[in-house]
Amino acid sequence: MRLLRTMRRGQWVLLAVTGGIVVLLMLWKPYALIEGIQRGGLYALIALPMALILGVVGIINLAHGEFMMLGAYAAYWFRVSAGVDPLVAMIPALGAFFLVGAVTYWLTIRRALKAPELNQLLLTFGMAMVGAEFANLMWTSQPRKPSLSYVYSSMALGQLRFGTYAFIYTAGAIVLLIVLLAFLRRTRLGRAALAVGQNPRGARLVGIDVNRTYLLIFGLSIALVGAIGAMFLTRHSVFPSAGSPFTMKSFCLIAMSGIGNLPGIVWGGFGLGVAEAIVLSFRGYGGWADVVFFAVLVAVIMARSYRRHAA
Amino acid sequence: MKRMLALAVLVMLGAGLVAVGQDTIKLGAVLPLADITGAQGSKAMQLAVDEINAAGGILGRQLELIVIDDENKPEKGAAAIDLLATVHNVDVFIGGMSSGVHLGQIPTLKKYEKVTVWIGAASSLVEQAVVGLDWYFHVHPWDYLQGASYVEGWAAIAEEYPLIQIEKAFWAYEEGAFGTSSFQGSLVAHADWENIGESFKSALLGGGDYRSVLRHAQEEDPDIFIWVGYGADALPIMEQAREIGFTPALFVGSPPGWPADFGESPLANGVVAYGMWAPSIKDVSPVSQHFWDAYIAAFGEEPATYFAPLGYTNVYVVAEAITRAGTLDREPLIEALEATNYVSPLGETLTFSPSNLIEHQGFSKQKILQWQNGAQQVLWPFEYATALPMYPFTGR
Repeated sequence: MRLLRTMRRGQWVLLAVTGGIVVLLMLWKPYALIEGIQRGGLYALIALPMALILGVVGIINLAHGEFMMLGAYAAYWFRVSAGVDPLVAMIPALGAFFLVGAVTYWLTIRRALKAPELNQLLLTFGMAMVGAEFANLMWTSQPRKPSLSYVYSSMALGQLRFGTYAFIYTAGAIVLLIVLLAFLRRTRLGRAALAVGQNPRGARLVGIDVNRTYLLIFGLSIALVGAIGAMFLTRHSVFPSAGSPFTMKSFCLIAMSGIGNLPGIVWGGFGLGVAEAIVLSFRGYGGWADVVFFAVLVAVIMARSYRRHAA
Repeated sequence: MKRMLALAVLVMLGAGLVAVGQDTIKLGAVLPLADITGAQGSKAMQLAVDEINAAGGILGRQLELIVIDDENKPEKGAAAIDLLATVHNVDVFIGGMSSGVHLGQIPTLKKYEKVTVWIGAASSLVEQAVVGLDWYFHVHPWDYLQGASYVEGWAAIAEEYPLIQIEKAFWAYEEGAFGTSSFQGSLVAHADWENIGESFKSALLGGGDYRSVLRHAQEEDPDIFIWVGYGADALPIMEQAREIGFTPALFVGSPPGWPADFGESPLANGVVAYGMWAPSIKDVSPVSQHFWDAYIAAFGEEPATYFAPLGYTNVYVVAEAITRAGTLDREPLIEALEATNYVSPLGETLTFSPSNLIEHQGFSKQKILQWQNGAQQVLWPFEYATALPMYPFTGR
C-alpha cells in the first residue's frame, strides 16, 4: 500500500497503459502474450549479470554469451557423466563459474581496467573467440541437448493450450532481480559495489577495496551466467556459437533500460519478448521479429534521449 | 671440409626423404575436422587406408592419407588444396562436405587438374562450376537428385502402404539460404502436393522458439510436416510441438546432421529423416556390417553420420581405380574410375554416370529413414528397408 501511495502520476499512467495492453493482448493474441513473457524472461535473465558487470566494473563483457554457453556445456557434461539434471547442475555451476570469473578477472580484466575502452572491448571479444573455439575443440560443433520430459509440460485453459515450463525463465528473471536488488541495497558488499560503480576513486578514499569488489562482482556475474547456462540447456541445444546472439541481445537490453537500471532490464525484456511474439504470430512475418526488436530498442533510446533534453 | 660434408649429408637426407615420399601413394583429403562429418569422415578414410595397407597396399606401395582441416571456411578450403598440391604433392584429391567451401575450392582445383573424387557438396551450384572437368568425380547426390528421390520414395511408400497418403504438406524452413533454397526446390519437386511454407529462425542463428510456426502448421492440419533446419533445432522443435499438442501424421526432419542425443528422446520415435545411410543398414548389407565393426574396433565409437561410410567409400573407390589403372597417370586413372563398381557400406553399389551437367556423378538417391526406438531405420528404398513404417506419428 505504501508503494501505491508513493507512486507518481506518470507511473500510474504507465501502469494503466501496461495493464490495458496486457488485457488487449489476452483477448487478441493470448499466445503472443504468454510466449512473449516467457521469451522476454529469458532475455532479461541472461542480461542481468551483464548489467551487473557493466554497472559496477564498467566493462562491456562481449564474452558474456560464451560464458553462458560454457555453463550449458558444463551442465551437459554433468548430465552425461553423472546423470545430474541441468537444474541441479546450476548449483555446482555457480561455484565453478565463480572461480572461472575470478581467475579471468585476475588474469585479464584487472590489467585492462585503465586501458582505453576499445582495448577492453577487444579483450572481451578475444575471450569470446577463445571460449567458442575451446568448446569447438572439446565437444565439436555437433549440437547437444539432453532429453528432459518436464520441459514440454503444458496446461489448457479452455481452448488455450500453452507450455508452462518456459515460465521458469520469467520467474528466474524476477527472482534474480529481487535478489540482486536486495544484495546491492542491503548487504555491505552490495553497497560497496554500488559505491564503486558510481565513483571508484571516492570509494577507495573511504576505504573500500575497489579491486577486491571488482573481482567479487565479476566472479558473481560469471557464476550467475554460468548457472543460467545450465537452465538454458533444459530447453535449448548447446553448440559453440550458441551464446553469442545473447551477448548482443543482453547489451541491447541494457542500452535500452539504461546502465544501472536492473528493473528496467526485466520490464524491457518482457516488452521486447512480447513485441517479437506478436510479430511471429502473424504468418509469414516471422523474419520481421528482429527488425521489431531493434525498432523498439531504437524508439526507446530516442524517447529517453528526447525526455532528457526536454527536462 | 666439414661444411661440405654436412651439406652432402643434408642432400643425401633430403634425397632419402623424397625417395620415401615417392614410395607412398598420397591421397589428400580436405574436411571440416571440428564438425562430426569431418571428424568421423576422416577417421573412416584412415580406416580404409589402414585396411588396404594391411592387405599389402596397391601397386606394391603403401597408401598415405593427408587430411587438412578446412574449418568450414572457403578460403581455408582453397588454401588446403594449394598445400596438398604443392607441399605434399598428393596424387588424388578426396574429401569434402560443405558446398560453400567447395565453391571456393574449385578455382584452385582447376589450377592443378589432378584427379578429384569428392564426397560432399550437394548444391547444384557446384555442379554448374565443374561442368566439363573430365578429372572431377562427384559422389554425393546433387540437391535436385535428392528432391527427385524423395518424390519417388513417397510415391512408392504410398503405393506400398495405402494408409499413408500425402496431399497437403507444411514446410517449416530456417530463414537462411539453406532452408529457403531447400523449400523452393521442394516446391518444384513436390508440385503435386498442396505446399504451405513458413520460415523460422534457427537456433544456430540465435532463434530457438518455434511455437508460432508450429501453431500455424497445426491450424493447417497437414498430412506431412517437414522442417528444414539444423541439428540444433531438432530436439527443441519436437519438444515444442509436444508442448502445444501438434502431432501431424508424418513428422519429418531434414537437418544436415542429427544432434548427438536425439535418438534417446522418446519424442524421436516415429520421426522421419532423410539421409544416405543409417546404422541399421548393416543388418541387410555385409559390407556395411564389416565397416561398422571395423570402425568401432578402431576408434571405440559408433559412426553417427553418413559421412563416415562415405569417407570409407571415398578411399576404396580411389584405391580400386588405381589398382585397375596400374598407374597414377591421369588418363588411365580417369578411365579406371569411370569403370567403378564398388559395393559400398551405404548399401548401394557406386558407379559413375552422367547427371544433368557433369559426366561423373556417383550416387543419385537418398533414403527415407525413420527413428524407431532410438535408431534410424530405412523405410525406402525397399531393397534396403530395415523396418516397416511407424504410422501415424504420435509424438510420444
